[in-house]
Order: sequence, then C-alpha cells, then structure tokens
Amino acid sequence: MNLDLTPEQLAFRDDVRAFIRERLPADIRERLRLGYLASKDDTVRWQRILAERGWAAPHWPRAYGGAELGQVERIILLDELQRAPAPVPQVFNINMLGPVLLQFGTPEQKATFLPKLARLDLWFCQGFSEPGAGSDLASLRTTARRDGEHYVVDGQKIWTSTAHVADWMFALVRTDTAAQRHRGISFLLIDLKTPGVTVRPIRSIDGAHHLNEVFLDGVRVPVAHRVGDEGQGWECARFLLANERSGIANVGACRERLQRARELATTTRRAGRRLIDDTHLRHELATLDAELRALEVTNQRFLLTESARAANPAFASVLKLRGTALQQQLHGLLVRLGGAPVREHVDDPQEGGAPAATATDTTPVPHYVERYLYSRAGSIYGGTSEIQRDLVAKSLLA
Amino acid sequence: MHFEPNDEQVALRDSLARLLAEQHDHETRRRIAASEAGSSPALWQQLVDLGLTALPVPEAHGGLGGRGADQLVVMQEIGRSLLASPLLGSCLVPTAALAALEGGQPAGLLSALVGGEQLAWAHDEPDGDGSARWVATRARRDGETWRLAGAKAAVHHGRGAARFLVSARLEGEAGDADGRALFVVEPDAAGLQARALRLIDDTPALALTLQGVAAQPLALDSGGAARAIDAALATGIAGVCAELLGGMEAALRLTVDYLGTRQQFGRVIGDNQALRHALADMLVGVEMARSMAIVAAVQLDRCAEPDALADIHRAKLVVARHARALAESAVQLHGGIGMTEEYAVGNYLRRVLVLETCFGDADVHVQHLDASTPEAVATLAL
Repeated sequence: MNLDLTPEQLAFRDDVRAFIRERLPADIRERLRLGYLASKDDTVRWQRILAERGWAAPHWPRAYGGAELGQVERIILLDELQRAPAPVPQVFNINMLGPVLLQFGTPEQKATFLPKLARLDLWFCQGFSEPGAGSDLASLRTTARRDGEHYVVDGQKIWTSTAHVADWMFALVRTDTAAQRHRGISFLLIDLKTPGVTVRPIRSIDGAHHLNEVFLDGVRVPVAHRVGDEGQGWECARFLLANERSGIANVGACRERLQRARELATTTRRAGRRLIDDTHLRHELATLDAELRALEVTNQRFLLTESARAANPAFASVLKLRGTALQQQLHGLLVRLGGAPVREHVDDPQEGGAPAATATDTTPVPHYVERYLYSRAGSIYGGTSEIQRDLVAKSLLA
Repeated sequence: MHFEPNDEQVALRDSLARLLAEQHDHETRRRIAASEAGSSPALWQQLVDLGLTALPVPEAHGGLGGRGADQLVVMQEIGRSLLASPLLGSCLVPTAALAALEGGQPAGLLSALVGGEQLAWAHDEPDGDGSARWVATRARRDGETWRLAGAKAAVHHGRGAARFLVSARLEGEAGDADGRALFVVEPDAAGLQARALRLIDDTPALALTLQGVAAQPLALDSGGAARAIDAALATGIAGVCAELLGGMEAALRLTVDYLGTRQQFGRVIGDNQALRHALADMLVGVEMARSMAIVAAVQLDRCAEPDALADIHRAKLVVARHARALAESAVQLHGGIGMTEEYAVGNYLRRVLVLETCFGDADVHVQHLDASTPEAVATLAL
C-alpha cells in the first residue's frame, strides 16, 4: 500500500499548477473565490485556454481535442482546477455527451460534434428531467414520432440548467410508447434554434437564473441526430451516468472552500476578535479537514482500484452522498463566517441579474449565501441523496 | 497510489481470520470475559505461533520487520472478532517505542517480545488526556537507582505482562514537550501497587500507583523519549483505527443479516426505507473509515515526519467518529436484541467506547491538527 504519486505524476501536477498560475484570468478566479458559479463566459474563456493542452477534454482521444489522460492524471487535473479555483471543463459537453458519442455515435456524429464540444463552439445542456419524471426518469413522456427522415418531438423538459445560454440539448425521448418503459427511449441531439423550442426561465432560491423549462412543440429533429439505435436511449443514459462518477466527489472544490473558510476566519474580526481565535471554530475546521482527507482517499481508492469497485458496487453513490454533504456543510460554514454583510444580495449580471448599480464599482459582492442556497441542489440533481441511499442499501440487502 | 493488501498480507489476514473463526466465537469470547484473568493465554500463544509478535520487530532483533500495512490487516481481524488481545498495547506499541530508540535499547527486550513476552504500555495517567506530552509521573535519581512516583491509568492487559514500559518526567510540568523519559518497571517491584479492573468492553486492565518504584532507564534524553513516545502513540492510533474498522465491518454485517431475516408486520424489516437508509449511511461510514485506516497504516511507516503524523491524527478523528455513529445505528436497527449483553452487536459499541479514547481522544487529535495548520504556525510566529 502507498499513497504517493509517482515522479511522473508529481511532474504532471506541477505542470498543471504552473499552467493555472500563469494562464487563469484573475477576474474569473476572484469571482469563483467569492462564491459565484462559473458563468458561460468564464467557462468558455478558460476552456479555450485549457484546449491548448488538450485539457478541455482531458480523457478524450487526441484526435478529437482531448489529452487521453489516465485516471490518476484526471483526478490530479480536476483537483488542481477546483483548488485554484478555476472553472472545470463544461460538464454536459465533456463528461456527459462526449463519452456517449465516443461510445455510441456514428463516425459522422463524432467528426461533426466532438471538436466543437471540446472547444465549446457548441454549448450543450441536458434534457433528461420532466415534470413527471424526476428520480423516476424512465417515466418520461416527451415523445418523438418518426416522420420520414425526421422525428417530431413533443413534450416538456424541466430543471434544464444553462438551457438559456445553450446552443443544443441532448435529450431522452420516447420513440416507442408501446414498448416496455426502459426500451422505448431514444437519445436525441436537438438544436435549440429549431422552430417549436421554447425556453422559459426558472429563478432558483439563490435569486439567479440557472434553471429552465424547455417546451418542445412539434420540433423536427433529423434522424441523423439520434445517438445509438432507436430504443437504445436508456443504455446511453446509464453509460452517461456511469461516466459522471470521476468528478462526483468534488474533493478539490471542498478543499478550496475549506481554504476560503480558513482565510475568512483569519482575516475577519467580529465583536473585537478574530474568528479563528474561537476554539469551537478551530475544532470544526480540523474535523472538516480530516473528513475531507477521508473523502479524498475514498475517491482515489474507488476510481483507481477495480477490486474496490467490485467490493462496493454502489461506490458512486457513496462518493456522491459524502461529497454533497461535505460541500453543503462547507457552504453553510462560509455563510456563518461571511456574516451579516454577505446577506446583502446583489444579482449576478452574468446569471441574468441586473447590471451592478454603479459602473465604477467593479468589485463583486461575495456570493457565499447565494452559493450556499444553490448548493442545496447538489443532493437533488443527478439522483437525490434518498435515491443514492436506496442504491447503497440495495447493494447490501438486494 | 495503491490501496490493496499484497499477497502475503492477504494470506496472513486469512490465516488469522480462520484461527479466530475457529477459536474465538462469541460464546468463547463471553467465557473468556467471565474468567478471572479476562484473557486467554492459550489464544495468545496461538497468535505468537502465527508470528504476529514477530511481525513488527526489526529483522536485526529476530523479527519480520513488518510495516504498517501488515499491522492493518492483523488488527482489522482482531477488531472484527472483538478479541480482547494484548497484541496492540503489550507488543506492537512497545515494539514501536523500542525500535525508535537509536541503539539505546537493552539487549533482549525486542527478542523477548518476538517470543511472546508482553511489555505493557503504561503511559496514560488518571488526570491526563492520552496525549504524548501528558506525563506527570516523576523520575528521580537515588544513588545508582532511578525511582518513579505517580500513577498510570488503565494499563490494558497489565496482569499478563512480564514488565511495564513506563513514561515519566525528569523535569518540567505535565504537558511540556521536554523532560520526558522512558523506563522499564518489573511487576514485583517494591512500591508498585496494581489495582485490577475491567473496562466496559471486558478488557482487563491495571491501574498502577508508583511510590518510589525502582526502574531501569531506557531513554533519559528528552529527544529520544519524545521520538519513542510519538512512535508508540502513532502505532497505537493506527492499530485502533484498524481495529475499529474491523469492528465496523462486523457490526454492519450483523445488521445486514438481521434486517434481512427479522420479520414484523408480515415482512422483513429490511423492506422499510427508513431502515435501509440508516444502513446505507453505515456503509458510507465504513468506507470513510477504511480509507483512513489505510492512511494511518501507510503513514505509520514514516510517522516521524509531521505531515504523516498529522494524517495519523486525522485518521483516528475520522474513524472514531464514524465508528461511534455506526455502532449506535447497529444497536438501533437491532431493536431490543441490540441492547442485550448476550448478543454480539452491542459489544461493538462497548468496544468503540474504549478504543475511541485510547491513544488520545478526539480533542487530542483536533488539538494536534490545529497546532500544525499553517495559520496556527503563522500566528505563533507573529
């Protein structure tokens, strides 16, 4: 047993660190430090810089703009990006759709879409959830009726984050209403400029516009934009979710928030004394630090060891449960440390809010409270914590 | 990075698991606990025959020169079996202390340990917190003889020990880093009073009172004694983490079996989502504990380095937290039967209560980590 990176892996980490230090735009870093989510502009600017090294799509083949990184290097890259903090490669394009196209796509689909996905020339969003299909995704009702070389899509998607800034959406639709419910589903790529697509905003409790409803009304989608066979959509979706595991624990993001908490506690004085001088707070920070170490090693153990995954088939659920719990705890801690001033809410103009009140005031207001509020979604999307516990229990009790 | 035991460790683990399955079922455990000594010399001899006492001792002293990962698989099985064994406190821990003394150890102590002689670790004190620096027991020179005065709390398996390994202070106050020393004390030494007691998990222990007890010095220099005590505690912590992990796995297994068989309202209680979710949280706890037991085992091999020692303290903090939560859930999910002494599952909770305070409780580990964070160092420098 050993916990060490090899000299080559250490050199890779240093390379990533140096690259981030030299190339990450300061304004992006500052926004993320203050609790803002990376905006589309942040993500596009940074991902095009990462693309120079193939790190925009770290695990993809080089032929499509990737860097063919191994699992250890992927963990290192993600960890360093999150710790910086820098935006991570756009998850829908890179972690979800890209691998599905590589596995199930036609040569034409790969050639057409993959390079654009890597450079974010096209921004995809994910059209899975529906008003009646949340945790029970397979009960989705959006239909795609074959009409010559097109499908005609009717239905509604919901909780579609970034749909309002996206160019395309990958969606699960029902192509066979008579088939058993998992079998009648297909995976389509839908250009959001197609007539019949309507995107309506949903403001979330953080006051920002990340989420949307997407209405599909007689939308004509070329059959050539179906990924995989007709009826293979559920298989694609399962493959996609399995691929999502490598970033599921978000250890680096937690590390960065803990570091931010330490900084705030050290620099903030309240009622005449530094927050860090409170014993209770120092205990809390030390405990969080230790719990994060446990999550970090658990993440490495599962992602790098086949036998560990075999021994615990529900490992991805374990990582998500613990990762989201710690993230939410850390965001809650930042609310407390940020104190009363951060409860002043200023809309983020990059997230659909009004522009800042004065043009001269370019310093963003901290968004710890907003970020805490949005972090509550972490244990809801991608399978709620209750669904994850069901999966873990099933692996034990059958 | 590599997190799995190697072939030899798997073989060792399997032999020990087989031995304990055959020789230490729950009924046997209860019989041993009810006996006057509270431990089984026959079972101890079997562990010695298996080579466990030779495992940690350097090859130069007739041992196998084992590493932290070897200790991990052994202590995990002991934890799983709820075996009240002197292996950790009277063999692995004193071995680490002796091995950390640079050439200063009297010939024969380590090889005696290999042969199964027990050297009980007597460091914790009644008013202490289990930390490395809390040593109030005094040592003074009386002509050619060193004499100790003070008290040592709950020396596990002290009655079966051939000797005691005792920390004492030449100068300064309890809590000071400087001034600590290590001695060997014979159990029949004049002025040594030993009160036999049982811990809540049935572990037999001795509370020692030392009144001018003659002692043989092992380390009189502050640096040497500090290194030995640190190595001993790091070994103890890593061992406790592994033992807790094994206990957690066993308690989880019992709970899974119970939820799959116990019927109420005409169906197995494992059909109830509230119970299933509690079970899921138990598995999450096991995986966090497993990771940190591995971390402690690996870092034990370089525990003189501050970053490794910090990881070892993190491990105990995390493992003990999750172990307590898991054992409480295991009792809860068993309902009334979980409350009975006769049934195994509640005994894991009793074991957790003892182990979580061994070699420093949560406060000690937090304080160590707090004092080693960059901000704390910067603050001290101001």
